[in-house]
Amino acid sequence: MVSYGLSEGMAVLMSVLVYAGSAQLTALPLMMAGAPLWLIFAAGFVVNIRFIIFGAALQPYFRKYSWLKRLGLGYWSSDLVFVFFMTRYGDARRKGTRGQLWYYLGVIVPGWFAWQFFSLLGIYTGAFVPPEWSLEFAATLALMGVAIPLVKAMPMAVSVLVTAVVAWLGQSLPLRLGLAVAIVAGVAAGVLAEMHKSRRAP
Amino acid sequence: MSGEADSYVLGAIALLTLCSLLTRAGYFLFGDHLPLTDPVRRALRYAPVAALTAIIVPDLLPWEAGASAIFDVKMLAAFVAVLIYWRTRSTIGLMVGGMCAYWAIAWLL
Repeated sequence: MVSYGLSEGMAVLMSVLVYAGSAQLTALPLMMAGAPLWLIFAAGFVVNIRFIIFGAALQPYFRKYSWLKRLGLGYWSSDLVFVFFMTRYGDARRKGTRGQLWYYLGVIVPGWFAWQFFSLLGIYTGAFVPPEWSLEFAATLALMGVAIPLVKAMPMAVSVLVTAVVAWLGQSLPLRLGLAVAIVAGVAAGVLAEMHKSRRAP
Repeated sequence: MSGEADSYVLGAIALLTLCSLLTRAGYFLFGDHLPLTDPVRRALRYAPVAALTAIIVPDLLPWEAGASAIFDVKMLAAFVAVLIYWRTRSTIGLMVGGMCAYWAIAWLL
């Protein structure tokens, strides 16, 4: 963020308040170019659309809590908690147990501190890490480490394949719209593959 | 930074914070008024892996092949990382192995 010309104070404020890596990485080049604020808002919203999908899936587990608690649980959610939570409780028959709440908090609270820690570390030391170390590749590898173990059944593999192809073709679209298109295509492919599989099963 | 540039940056941060709040907490707050059918919920199970894949792929295979050496290195290193995971079932192995493979390949080329 500092490398985009933001002051360190502004970078810290952004990291703490926005708390969305991909939206920040999308918005920074636009801010550098002096893009109108509505465009920055629209771009950030599109990149964050996946959280609406995540929220819709997570909401039944937390509907009984107060307005303020739900606000906090939602605001501090993350990609990671969705992936972990749905892997563990996706097929749970009882929704809204204490165990689920604590599991959720157990992911988002350390996640928030770890993310902020490394974000601040990056803001204040980023200039000292030689670019040829390519530490950003570690972030890609970490995402792979989350995704690959989840691909267990055939429909999921089909979904990943279709997502990958569409994501690759869609990178030239503005505002990272390719990301949203690829997710929609991947979900559709997964559903179709599942239907096909269950129709052929005896 | 001048005052005007400051207020521009603050405005952008405020709007992006609003984005985070609306997209993440929106369904948590108003979900009961926007019910989802079961088929939709089943479909949503494919969303997280799809989202991760859609973030990873452009990282590994960017369009601009101008820096072709870089994309070759990342792709090869990612392939090595997947092999390591397949053999060891270890996420740490995937990350450490992938990073080491990246440095080794970049050094060799």
